[in-house]
Amino acid sequence: MLLAVLGFAAALPAVAQVNPLPPDKAFRFSAKLVDARTIEARFFIADGYYLYRDKVHFAVEPASAGLSVPALPNGKVKEDQFFGRVETYRGDIVVKLGLTDAKPGQHVVIAAESQGCADIGLCYPPTVQRVTLALPEGSVVPAAPEGSAKKPWFN
Amino acid sequence: MMKHPTRLALVVVAALALAAGVALAIWDRTPPSADNLLALSLPDTKGDRQALGQWRGKVVVVNFWATWCEPCRQEMPEFVRVQRELGPRGLQFVGIAVDQPEKVDRFAKELQLNYPALIGGYDAVDLSQSLGNRLVALPFTIVINRQGRVVQTYLGPVKIDQLKAILSDLL
Repeated sequence: MLLAVLGFAAALPAVAQVNPLPPDKAFRFSAKLVDARTIEARFFIADGYYLYRDKVHFAVEPASAGLSVPALPNGKVKEDQFFGRVETYRGDIVVKLGLTDAKPGQHVVIAAESQGCADIGLCYPPTVQRVTLALPEGSVVPAAPEGSAKKPWFN
Repeated sequence: MMKHPTRLALVVVAALALAAGVALAIWDRTPPSADNLLALSLPDTKGDRQALGQWRGKVVVVNFWATWCEPCRQEMPEFVRVQRELGPRGLQFVGIAVDQPEKVDRFAKELQLNYPALIGGYDAVDLSQSLGNRLVALPFTIVINRQGRVVQTYLGPVKIDQLKAILSDLL
């Protein structure tokens, strides 16, 4: 049965010549609390894909929670014929974001915008991914044991 | 058979899934109409609206692109050559840029683009989704025959030799 299905799949016309990932899988975003005022934001960039450094932006919702964004890590510098110097990211990038005015117990949404391309020769429009975080009620954040965070395996 | 309703259900589900796959494959092979696309009217870099319908009856190649898309820019010089070569036989390239007019204008001048560069915005790219651009990515290129039907689409760079062969057949 499985073989039959595989054979059938192979017989299908090549509708798409490439089989690219959707942007939220090519540039998977996650965010977790390090302490009550610090968020570790991370992009997992799939092999064969890259993000543009100047197209990575973060925001917090509600804006009243206040977000401080440090300088983003340096990327790989490339001379672009049209845009001049551009920096790109591959692999994982990690950014420590600060919450300046969040209240204990508050829920905040970290919105991460990114834009990148695939080596197979296509680019995605800017994409926004969101992660909701619940801040601790008290001032102390229990240390999250490694691997206990909910894994978005279904994403 | 009836002793195993679960197994039966599984077989039915599998058969339905297969049927759906076959239906999808057949549906994918029918050239869809480009009417929605040809009904668009988009501004050029000067802000003047251009109706895509004005090229109806020609063989039209619509290329969705942007200056921020390097693979898009890389294949465009080839489009300029093909337009020059096959334009007199009734070929019309139309670029729809998901971009800012100033940047598009600058790049068009740099490249000496010999076909219209219209400004699409994300709604135009969303439209490309209905024509097979499931990921709404760029470049995305559509070949429309003289009857207004989409005969080929490319997500990612076109295969230029294949495109030329298709165009020769259509012209």
